[in-house]
Amino acid sequence: MKFSKIDDNNFELDVTGYVCPHPQLYTLKSMEKLKDGMVLSVLIDNPSSVESVEQACSEKGFTILDKSSPKSGVTAVKIQK
Amino acid sequence: MAEAKSSKKTVYAMLVLAFLAIISLLYYISAPAYLYIVAYLWFGFLYGVLQQYGRFCFASAWRDLIMIKVPRMFVGIMIGMMVFSVIAVFIFTYYPDRYHTTPLGLHGLIGGLLFGMGMVFAGGCATGSLYKTGEGNMISLTVLLSLAFSQAIFAVTIFDRIFDKFIAGLPSFSVTEILFGGSEGGHVDYAQYSFWQHFVGDALLNAILVAMILLVAVYIIVVRKGFLQRRVQAAAANADGGTPKTGFMDDLAGFWSMIASSKRTAIAAILIGVVAATQVFTLGWMAKKYDFVNFGNVLVGNTKSGGEPPATWPDKTYPDDVAMRSGDTVFDPGYWYITTQEAMFAGWTMKAAGLSRETMEDNHYFGDYNGLPRPWHSPALLLSFGLILGASFKSLLAREFKWKFPSRELFVYAVIGGTLMGVGARIALGCNIGAFYAPAAFGDPSGWVFFVGMGVGAYLSAKIVNWWANRKMADMDFDIDIEI
Repeated sequence: MKFSKIDDNNFELDVTGYVCPHPQLYTLKSMEKLKDGMVLSVLIDNPSSVESVEQACSEKGFTILDKSSPKSGVTAVKIQK
Repeated sequence: MAEAKSSKKTVYAMLVLAFLAIISLLYYISAPAYLYIVAYLWFGFLYGVLQQYGRFCFASAWRDLIMIKVPRMFVGIMIGMMVFSVIAVFIFTYYPDRYHTTPLGLHGLIGGLLFGMGMVFAGGCATGSLYKTGEGNMISLTVLLSLAFSQAIFAVTIFDRIFDKFIAGLPSFSVTEILFGGSEGGHVDYAQYSFWQHFVGDALLNAILVAMILLVAVYIIVVRKGFLQRRVQAAAANADGGTPKTGFMDDLAGFWSMIASSKRTAIAAILIGVVAATQVFTLGWMAKKYDFVNFGNVLVGNTKSGGEPPATWPDKTYPDDVAMRSGDTVFDPGYWYITTQEAMFAGWTMKAAGLSRETMEDNHYFGDYNGLPRPWHSPALLLSFGLILGASFKSLLAREFKWKFPSRELFVYAVIGGTLMGVGARIALGCNIGAFYAPAAFGDPSGWVFFVGMGVGAYLSAKIVNWWANRKMADMDFDIDIEI
């Protein structure tokens, strides 16, 4: 797992290799650290976690800006607080 | 490049299908009666495809609800279970002897609690770990192996003492029996009840009513506040002045949005219900056609009618494959079942490694009924195998397949989780399918006892996992200036 800062407003969390519940848990805990308007890109390779993250974001009122597959088996979810 | 990779995965998916087709053909050539276990294999395949599509996992149902307030899986599973309960009424009407109630008692709660704790550590329930293994997730395979061996060891060491002392004398009954009587004298003939009696007792009261109460509770406790807040904000943005009020209609809308957001799991769960019913009917029909009650009969050459084995049966007999005490049965549940066949696989491995048949089978679990058949003669193990490959097939097509190997941290979680699930499943006499999903849908209140235990266990483990996650997060450098 790796959390990195891209610039003042953009961050990346790599939770590839992790299985439930860790990806969704670390994503939400990282979002708590961010300020409104900041963007977190999360890399996940556990399919069911992607959907849990999406639903948790909509419950919390975070916006999903983009969802893509940078490589086979990996999903990148871009979330704005 | 991406397209080339995608088409490669499609080829692999087709290879999975071809592999299953070849295996099926080999079984058929060997003896047509083997089509019975080939049917298990393909039903497993369908469960795997549907589970992977719906992310169907009971660990997620409790854990995501507790840890991140996401009710998706909980809702999906409840909807699927309600549909399955209606299908179960048809099963009871046409094949009244295909389901047996399980004892109701504290063991269900304790077993459920251990199982619930285990599944949160493991990152998946028993059947969830099977489909995830099919996605290339070797952490889930570690969970399955831990689950298999912990059960087998538990079964040959202390299970009999627990069973004889605490479980053997407990009552077992369905809601229909309670409502309409007919269980005097111990044995209950389910054929005595009409379709509507089963419908009211088993489906309406034991499954649908309880599930609806739980769904309303989840809405009120988890979803309601956030939903109404967002609705008020949206209304305020559109209105000019004054605070908008919310009423019953808003709650109805909120409840529906909770259901709608669980669509994918619910669709999968409903289809799984249909497949599960088809499995019961198909296997019931095939057993009748090939003249046996339990597949073990075929392995030892005992026909149901008492005559000579027909030409469709294998020529050879396998007396060592059936349960030692019963003499002619193997684990052949006839419906969707998960944990016992893995325990049998572990038991067979231990037998193959040199432990005697007496050591392994002189106990209730393996000796009375299940036996330790070689894996390719074990009907339900073929279901598990088919399930893994079904999930591989679907995840390859969806470009979600990825080999994943455990880190030290996840390995520890997997072994502890799998072991707790194994011990829990044995104490409760089943896993989330055999001790909850099927009983709850078949009018057997013992399913709900396990479900409550599972929830309490999941809650305890969620606290531990959360504490560990916070500890790890504290070590990470976020480098963000947080305004206080």
